[in-house]
Amino acid sequence: MFTSILKEHKGFGKQIFLLAKNELIKTYKGAVIGPFWAVVKPAFTVFVYWFAFSVGIKALRSVNVHLNGMHRDPFTLDFFTFMFVGIIPWFFIQDSIVQGTKTLRTNRQFITKVKFPVSTILTYTGLSRLFVHLFLCVILYAYVIFHRVSGGSAPFEWFDLQFFFYCPLLFFFFLALSWSTAPMAAFSKDFESLIVSIMSGVFWLSGIMYDSYSFTGGLKWAMLLNPINFFANGYRNTFLYHRGFWEYKTELVVFAAELIAVTLLGIFNYNRLRKKLPDVL
Amino acid sequence: MDQLDTAKPIITFKNVSKTYILYKSDQDRFRALFFKPRNPKTNKALNNVSFEIMRGESVGIVGDNGAGKSTLLKMITGVAFADEGEIVVDGKVAALLELTAGFSNEMTGRENIYLKGYILGLEDDYIKQIEERIIDFAELGDYIDQPVRTYSSGMKMRLGFAINVNIEPDVLVVDEALAVGDASFKRKCKDKIKEIISAGTTVLYVSHNADSVKEICPRAIYLRKGTVIYDGKTEDTLKVYHDYKEEQKKKKKK
Repeated sequence: MFTSILKEHKGFGKQIFLLAKNELIKTYKGAVIGPFWAVVKPAFTVFVYWFAFSVGIKALRSVNVHLNGMHRDPFTLDFFTFMFVGIIPWFFIQDSIVQGTKTLRTNRQFITKVKFPVSTILTYTGLSRLFVHLFLCVILYAYVIFHRVSGGSAPFEWFDLQFFFYCPLLFFFFLALSWSTAPMAAFSKDFESLIVSIMSGVFWLSGIMYDSYSFTGGLKWAMLLNPINFFANGYRNTFLYHRGFWEYKTELVVFAAELIAVTLLGIFNYNRLRKKLPDVL
Repeated sequence: MDQLDTAKPIITFKNVSKTYILYKSDQDRFRALFFKPRNPKTNKALNNVSFEIMRGESVGIVGDNGAGKSTLLKMITGVAFADEGEIVVDGKVAALLELTAGFSNEMTGRENIYLKGYILGLEDDYIKQIEERIIDFAELGDYIDQPVRTYSSGMKMRLGFAINVNIEPDVLVVDEALAVGDASFKRKCKDKIKEIISAGTTVLYVSHNADSVKEICPRAIYLRKGTVIYDGKTEDTLKVYHDYKEEQKKKKKK
């Protein structure tokens, strides 16, 4: 049971990359500036949030960051930088959850017409989103370096390498989540709608526009339980906080437990529903 | 060794049953995600079906619409799964059913040949060997390196057909209602199917036309409402089938 998804991927690696590439072509073909839409849309979103909160409401020009549980002084970051670093993983998360949930339905020709390793559909569509994410990360890193240099610091830091810890985890966590959500959404359109509606609100419940470490008591725990915060803070650890992923142990342990739970649930749900998919799609 | 080979079944169905659950509403569907549906409406597509098909045998499958023929073929091709029982298919299956399905539209024809090959578990070297043969057969010319979305439906069908017949399948599943391209290409297809049959490939042939079944298959299975009514020599099977139909007609007249 545990190996069924792995087995479907065996010997299919090259095809997954080819299909991921085609997924990208499908998304951006026919547009004049084509692939640049992958940048324009998030850039506009970032601009709008910055404009609304820093210029419009005038409430958020800077963010006080308290890295709790650590003997460090609180420090201040300008809102734009704080938000920009946190929102880049969010774009990937949002697309992964919403698109990932719909994927099996939109690729039904591979399920109802031919024999196909169905779980690889989730992998190659996820991979195509990862390519876009990596592209955005390059832009982000360029901004981070610019920000450091203009602030008089060194352009590179060892902590930057933590990107290679957080990014693969980001990809895998939401892939494993889609093992549950995608077959369930294929089964019931209501489930798909449920996920899509929830996702439009989750942004505001996560520490992207604000610092999720800034709470105490029950809210602090609620924030710790949200895996989106793990990644938003993780990217900030990497590029802004000079902090190792191992330093805040509670956060790491909570996330590890969630990762295991989501993976097991994904395997369980995928195996439970896989054989029914051709009948319901 | 040859004797051993032909004595071994290539397709085995052992007490296979399949039930489709008909959900009354979308709420029921949603509920079914988490709970077992309580006495749902069901449609038994296959009921305790058992048979063996030996290597090199050609078997016809006859029956009215809704008898379970499509479900049976889908199970052999690996698209659908049984609720109960065991299905063993020991070899590469090529299906001449829905030829235009299962292409990746953004990929070129050539890339789709590889995609299909990988799905069937073929190696790069082998696909390279048969690639030219497929392209020749499909008569696509320069279009082979264009994305499949630019193909006409006839071109897609030709490519689908060419891939399926050129991978040297162990089992070929053919639906007689298949229409491929213009008259000359149709003839080419028929010749190719005959060539494959005479080469000793196991063939499953689905048809409403008694004569063509007789022509191709020495053995036939008659399905009615998901149950195997008769499995034997084609002549005998067709007789049982016709007798039943006559009976039905008489009943209607009364």
